[in-house]
Amino acid sequence: MSSPLVPSLTLGLCILAGIGTFFLLPRAQKNVSLRAIGGGMVAVAGVAFVLAMIRWAVGLSGSEGGSGVGASYIYFWIFSILAVAGAARVVTHPQPVYSAIYFVLTVFATAGLFVLMAAEFLAAALIIIYAGAILVVYVFVIMLASEATEGGGIISKTVGKTSVLTDFDASSREPFWACLGGFTVMATMLFVIFDRAPTLLKAPAVEQIPQAIRDASNNLGPTTGGIQQLGVYMFTHQSIAVQVAGLILTLAMVGAIMIARKHIILTDIDGNISPAADASVGPMLDVDDNPHGVEVTGTQNPNQKEYPEL
Amino acid sequence: MSGFTQIVLHHYLAIGAILFSLGLIGFLTRRNLIILFLCTELMLQGVIITLLAFATFHGNLQGQAFVIFALVIAAAEASLALGLIVLLFRQKQTVDADAWRELRG
Repeated sequence: MSSPLVPSLTLGLCILAGIGTFFLLPRAQKNVSLRAIGGGMVAVAGVAFVLAMIRWAVGLSGSEGGSGVGASYIYFWIFSILAVAGAARVVTHPQPVYSAIYFVLTVFATAGLFVLMAAEFLAAALIIIYAGAILVVYVFVIMLASEATEGGGIISKTVGKTSVLTDFDASSREPFWACLGGFTVMATMLFVIFDRAPTLLKAPAVEQIPQAIRDASNNLGPTTGGIQQLGVYMFTHQSIAVQVAGLILTLAMVGAIMIARKHIILTDIDGNISPAADASVGPMLDVDDNPHGVEVTGTQNPNQKEYPEL
Repeated sequence: MSGFTQIVLHHYLAIGAILFSLGLIGFLTRRNLIILFLCTELMLQGVIITLLAFATFHGNLQGQAFVIFALVIAAAEASLALGLIVLLFRQKQTVDADAWRELRG
C-alpha cells in the first residue's frame, strides 16, 4: 500500500480522537464516566493509528521475503514480546485473577505466532479452547475457591490501589533457587538452540507454507486450504489417535462429574463435625447409582421433577 | 542485524523455550494451587510453539496434529485438576499448597 492512511480513515480517526479529547478535558461538574468514555475513544484512535503505521512499515520493503510479504518480521517481534511479557506477569503477579487475565494475553500472542506460521485453524482452536473455555473455568474456580481475608490479610499497595492479599499469595516459595534453576534451564536450552546458528535454514515465507506442506505430505489428494489438509491428514494418518482423544475427553468428563459429586464433612481434631460446616457441605453420601437413591442436592424446590419411573 | 530481520526456526524455538522456563519458575515458586496449575498450562504453551515451529520447518502436518492432541490433553487435565482443587479447598478451606505439608515424605 502506497500511503499509510487513506483520507477517509484519517478523517475518521481525527474525529474520534477529537470527540474523545473533548470528553477528557476537565469540566466544572465532575462526570467520571464521561471522562472514561473520552479516554477510551482516544485510546482506540491511537491504537488504530499505530496499527496502520505498522501495517505500512511491513508493506514498505516489498522484496524482503521474495514474495511481497515485506517486513513481516515486525509481527513476529510484536507477538513474541507480548507473549513473554504476559508470561512474566502471569508468574509474578500476586493476585490470582490478574494472572489468569495475563495468561489470556499470552494465549492471544501465541495464536498470533501461529497465524504467522500459517496454522490459522490452530490459532482459532487455541483461542476457543484456552481463552474461551479453560481460562473461563480457571477464573470461576479462582472466584469460588477464594479465602476470606477479613481477618487481616497482607495489604499490598500498588499504583493507585490497595489490595488485601492472603499470606500464600503475597510470598513465594524459595524464589532464589527457583529462579536459579529456571534460568539455568533457559540458558541451557537457548545455548543448544543457537549453537547451530551458522547453519540457519530460512523458513519459508508464510504464503508458501501450505504449498510446502502439500508437497511434503504423501499424496493427500486435492485440498483447498489449511484446515482441509489438516483434517484429511488427521483422519487418514492419525485416525486411531483421534478416537483415543475423544475417549480421553469422555473420561475427563466422567471423572470431573464423579469428583464433583463428593461431599466432605468438616471435622475438627476430635472427629466432631465442625460448627463451621456451612450449608454447601452435605453429609457424605454412598455413591449408589440408583437415581431414586441419590438425594438431589442443591434445591429445595418442591416442583423439582422426579426421575421418571422406569 | 540479519538475526532480527530474518525469522527462522530458531527464533520460534527460543520463544518456546522462554515460555517453558517462565512456566517452570512459576510452578516452583507460587503457593496458590490454582496458579500452580496455570503455570503448568504456560509450560504447555511453550511446548506447543516448539511443536508447531518444527512442523513448519519440516513442512508436514505431524506437528499440527500433535498440537491438537496436546490441546485435548490440556483441556482434560485442566478440568480434572480444577475439580480436585475444589475438593481440596472444601477439605481445608484454603488453596495454599503449604496446607498439605503433611503429604511430604
